[in-house]
Amino acid sequence: MELLMALVIGSMFAAGTYMILRPSLIRVVLGFGLYSNAANLLLIACGGYSDALQAPFLRDGADGYMDPLPPDIILTAIVISFAVGALLLIVSYQVYVDHGTDDPENLPRDPLS
Amino acid sequence: MNRWLILPVLVPFLTAVLLALLNGHPRLERAVNLVSCAGLTVFVYWLLGHVDAHGIQAMVIGGWFAPWGVAFVADRLAAIMLCLSMSVGTVVLVYTFFTVEPRQERYFFHPLLQVLLLGVNWSFITGDLFNLFVAYEVMLLGSYGVMMVGASKPQVRQTMAYIAINSIGSTLFVMGCGLVYATLGTLNMADIAQRSAQLTGERAALVTAVSMLLMVVFALKAAAFPVFFWLPDSYPIVPAGMNGYFAGMLTKVGVYSLMRLFVLCFRQPGAELVLEVLLVLSGLSMLFGVLGALCQWEVRKILSWHIISQVGYMLMGIGLAASGADVAQAGVVASIFCVVHNMVVKSSLFLIGGIAGRISGSQKLSEMGGIAGLAPGVSILFLVAAFSLAGMPPFSGFIAKFVLIRAGLAGGHGVVVFVSVVTSLCTLYSMSKIWNYAFWHAPSVSAPLGRYRAMMLPTAVLVLSSVLMGVVAEPFLRLANDAARDLLDPRAYQEAVLLPIPEPTTAQTSRLGGVP
Repeated sequence: MELLMALVIGSMFAAGTYMILRPSLIRVVLGFGLYSNAANLLLIACGGYSDALQAPFLRDGADGYMDPLPPDIILTAIVISFAVGALLLIVSYQVYVDHGTDDPENLPRDPLS
Repeated sequence: MNRWLILPVLVPFLTAVLLALLNGHPRLERAVNLVSCAGLTVFVYWLLGHVDAHGIQAMVIGGWFAPWGVAFVADRLAAIMLCLSMSVGTVVLVYTFFTVEPRQERYFFHPLLQVLLLGVNWSFITGDLFNLFVAYEVMLLGSYGVMMVGASKPQVRQTMAYIAINSIGSTLFVMGCGLVYATLGTLNMADIAQRSAQLTGERAALVTAVSMLLMVVFALKAAAFPVFFWLPDSYPIVPAGMNGYFAGMLTKVGVYSLMRLFVLCFRQPGAELVLEVLLVLSGLSMLFGVLGALCQWEVRKILSWHIISQVGYMLMGIGLAASGADVAQAGVVASIFCVVHNMVVKSSLFLIGGIAGRISGSQKLSEMGGIAGLAPGVSILFLVAAFSLAGMPPFSGFIAKFVLIRAGLAGGHGVVVFVSVVTSLCTLYSMSKIWNYAFWHAPSVSAPLGRYRAMMLPTAVLVLSSVLMGVVAEPFLRLANDAARDLLDPRAYQEAVLLPIPEPTTAQTSRLGGVP
């Protein structure tokens, strides 16, 4: 299970990195979407994910219990990445409207101009 | 158990909500914002006195005792940072009354400022690593909003880049939190200090590797070498006045986090590797920051590059914590004093830059000139702040650098000390460049273009604080000394946070009739 998770997380980070390096703002935003979800999967893996463990509070005498904290962290991280993702989409759209291009290379260089 | 510790977070939160509801009544908004900031400033100074007299204060949230629940902790360092955050915030707020545009106020400038304060205060007072991440995100969202307020084209475009770079940092931060939890089984800072100290062998090396990831996150936030490229482009577009708060506070939150985690928390064998890396990065940050400043011709850009070199000084103090006990103590004291001095001076320089821009109608050195004749008062403020930044006696910068260099020599780190001295000289040269072109040359305008006198009052408050810290350094150094001692020896911190769990009373048992 852990090997599979590691492969999935690694691929998602690779894909996210590829997207962030594309010369297009909308792809950059999507790349961050991949990044944040890969990080959330990493958190699940950190919680010691396996089929043998039970959810806490359900049954006495199980072999072991899942750690309830990582899902908790993931929930918070999802909410935050959702908010930042929404903001990124709005800002990238506004840049497109302002400058008529989605390619960062074509934007004016000096930030004060 | 001190319930008042929630105030530095609760007051900005409630004020932000109230100000959002009051949108469209600028006078009322300004009044509410100022009363809130000033009131909280008074409280955090009381808190600093209280912590200094009665030891570290802690509270746990929602009845979940540490290390399970989120703890809010105010030790001396956190209280000092809160005092600075609120003082600089209040001063900058008064300054923005003269610079903020009606359009920016209509687009929720005041609530966004409070969200920024909320995030900054929260990151200082929290005693939990994941909670620190949440505080960072609140702070960042507030800073995105303030940076973009009014939404001019350059603002929006530069904010896009700023959000992108910080999103990468946030992703690494979440991963760091998860990996710390996976390797140590805790996120409470006091508990991290306790558990990491017991590690040996491979586990210790693993935690060191994980902590390296967090180091990258905070170095990015602090704009240290090599991850500083976002800063000189971003800060100049922040609305005038608010760039003083950004310059003074936001990078220092990164420095504070490095101090908190790598001096207090991570104590496994081999942890000093991170500090040694920081020491190398500090020298490079000083050098690259000041060299970047030398080839700029725009006041805000020059000052932004200087932030990077000044962060180098603070990191150098933290890096010295890898040496023996006395050097570590002196290094952390120097680092704390550098942070305090720099927040005040850096903010004041940005505010002075704003006034100079108001007088001559430009921020480009080639289009400025003669401000010394047009506004003598402003030039005196600039001279004091610039000398203080470059480390000239009798101002706070001299004390900060003196303590730092003495610690560096005691630790035998000649190269870094040499770099820091060279950087100081280059800083002086860079400041004299601003002086020559903006304040000295032939006047570019016959009379000041804008009204600026009222803006000098908040600026003067900051400049005078720097003079005060230089002339009456003793109490400040004493406080920094005690703060550093609490960081290097975590026992007092742990005793305050990891409370003995009280016996449940009948009122405390859960409503389901089970165990509390």
